[in-house]
Amino acid sequence: MIGVISYLVFFSTVAAILAIAVLGLNLQWGNTGLFNGGVVAFFGAGAYATLIFGGTPQEGQLGGFALPYPLALLGGMFVAGVMAWIVGILTLRLRHDYLAIATFGVAVAFENLMRNAEALAGGAQGLRGFERPLFDALGGGLAYNSLFLICVLVLLLAVYVFLERLIRSPFGRLLRAIREDETAARSLGKNPARIRLTSFITGSVIMGMSGGLYGTFYAFISPQDVLPILTFQIWAMLIVGGAGNNRGAVAGAFLIWGAWTASGWALSRFAPQEVQLYTGSVQFILIGFVIVGMLLWRPQGLFEEKLVVSQQGRTATKELQGDRR
Amino acid sequence: MKKHMRNTSIAVGLAAGLTAIGGAAAAQDCTTKIGAVLPTSVDWGKPIAATAQYVVEQVNAAGGVAGCEIEMVLRDSQVDPKVGVDAAKALVDLDGVQVLLGAVSSGVSMPILTSVTAPAGVMQMSCCSSSTAFTGLAEEGKTKGLWFRTFATTGVQSAVAAMVAKDKGYKSIAILYKNDDWGQDIGKLAAADFAAVGVEVTGSVALNDGQASYRAEVTEALKGQPEAIYLALYPKEGTAAVREWISLGGTQNMIVANSLKSDEFRENVGLQYLGNTTGTDTASPRSASATRFVDQYTEHFGSAPSGPGLSNSYDATMIALLAMEAAGKDSSGEEIAAMVGKVTDPAGTPVSADAEGFAAAKEILAGGGSVFYQGATGNVRFDANGDVSAPAVTWGFSEGGIEELQYISLDEVDSFMGSLN
Repeated sequence: MIGVISYLVFFSTVAAILAIAVLGLNLQWGNTGLFNGGVVAFFGAGAYATLIFGGTPQEGQLGGFALPYPLALLGGMFVAGVMAWIVGILTLRLRHDYLAIATFGVAVAFENLMRNAEALAGGAQGLRGFERPLFDALGGGLAYNSLFLICVLVLLLAVYVFLERLIRSPFGRLLRAIREDETAARSLGKNPARIRLTSFITGSVIMGMSGGLYGTFYAFISPQDVLPILTFQIWAMLIVGGAGNNRGAVAGAFLIWGAWTASGWALSRFAPQEVQLYTGSVQFILIGFVIVGMLLWRPQGLFEEKLVVSQQGRTATKELQGDRR
Repeated sequence: MKKHMRNTSIAVGLAAGLTAIGGAAAAQDCTTKIGAVLPTSVDWGKPIAATAQYVVEQVNAAGGVAGCEIEMVLRDSQVDPKVGVDAAKALVDLDGVQVLLGAVSSGVSMPILTSVTAPAGVMQMSCCSSSTAFTGLAEEGKTKGLWFRTFATTGVQSAVAAMVAKDKGYKSIAILYKNDDWGQDIGKLAAADFAAVGVEVTGSVALNDGQASYRAEVTEALKGQPEAIYLALYPKEGTAAVREWISLGGTQNMIVANSLKSDEFRENVGLQYLGNTTGTDTASPRSASATRFVDQYTEHFGSAPSGPGLSNSYDATMIALLAMEAAGKDSSGEEIAAMVGKVTDPAGTPVSADAEGFAAAKEILAGGGSVFYQGATGNVRFDANGDVSAPAVTWGFSEGGIEELQYISLDEVDSFMGSLN
């Protein structure tokens, strides 16, 4: 029984960390319509920077500043934000698929930079040397993992509440206005370019937090953690959960990560011994089924976006559309 | 007990399967699980996992471990650290394994070690992770003696390469290495080893996979006008890089790592350019049990073991199971890890790497003796950091294929490596 609890704590920690990243993407895509194809770059920037700020000195490597954990995490978020600012200024004039390709390129470049910059990021070997606070004091087992889970859940809740308030505020309405019709928003005297950049940076800072938590949970990060597959996983979580709905984003993270891991577990347990070698490939098929099935039967995701549109607003939109025709 | 009840169905299925094979092993009434996290969804990962399974079959045929049938629960790592770590955690927490085999990539093995096996006191034995970061972690005491790997090539190979350069009297050398964790490691180690024997390193250049041309990198390496070149590359980039190297007038004095020990490389570059090439490799050991490994593998799988990590995977699994046997029934990961020295003890009785060897080891261990496992990768011997040394060979290309030039025994390798520090 204790084993089951221990595993569930571990699973929930990773799922909750990923959920934070999905929330960040939901602000960018679900609410602002920014197709970020390079989630993993901002996630990775947060992870690497947190480990550099919070880690102990390693031979021949930058970092080892051994800052207190909260400061290191904030530093990671800051670096992710700065990176988003630079990337945003360069790319946010691009629309949809162009933005997706540009940000995807940024993510690939980021991974390559980390793989090669040995002095900065440890190269292909990755970055280690982070001392987990209270890890030894709590024996490193279930007690530590539970404490870490509580911290992650608190942060997840904080991000969730923050985003819920944000999208209900006038600023949130502005984001959706830009998503739906940028020209109309501009005609009302808004500056879409600046708002898009703000949303992009905010979302990326949240992804950076997720990355910082991820890196410190394992006390290790390597280029293998920032491969494009992670961007795909986070997107799948958002699509399945329901883009535009924060509750959906969190649910999607738990559901997809659950399907991802549970399929492997179930196959190892129930598949006959002779086919055990092939379960890895079968697992990919199962995961694909879940995602395709969701898209076919519930394309809006588990939780639909709740559109709050006032009566006058709706008429106005119709008139606008009529004018355009 | 609880563990056994939960798995009754599997045990029954297994027992049925084994009865079908006709093994006498079905008589055991208990099952001990070990875990394996290997990249089975990747083409080169499957044979590594199949080899581990094969060892488990052999051991079960020899009566299992400490009177119990071994069941290896295999999980796919997908070469994704998150997935591999989760799989390892599930194996440790849900299946209660005390021994975990894996992973292959260092980037997956490392987070498993730091966040699953070391905190839980489970022994982790990797066939193939090459990163020197593990040695650093072990030196800091963070692996708690629970970490082992049977992959020896990096340090041994770079040392042997330095030995070759010294024997041939090269004064200067340039290094081209593959840009991944293995390549970065061996590139760095080789540079240090060449310097230690007094060969000047004129440049060290990384090559990324899958590029159409390596002209820029090769030109960079040519700049220092080295007398020889050291290649830690895989055949595909290796072929492309060497073609450009020679066409730009680079030297044909080459020292290459075992990754280029391939007919593909020999044919695509052309033998006329490879006459002065010396390769290094950890040796196919000179014991009967090593040739036995090749023979029994060929017999079992219908083809000779070719592909990375197979003999390493065989040894990793066999040593883990021998240590479990030595530690006795229901031992913890720590107790099993403590027994690894006892089954790889140079003063012990040599046993071969097969079912009979395991059966023989059982008797010796039961009698209180220690065992010297003669593995598929050589006489495996772990140091305090869980790293292995191994005998080595040098080889060259010839008309007929690949020929061995010189065998360097484990003692020679060890003393030479000692002289480098």
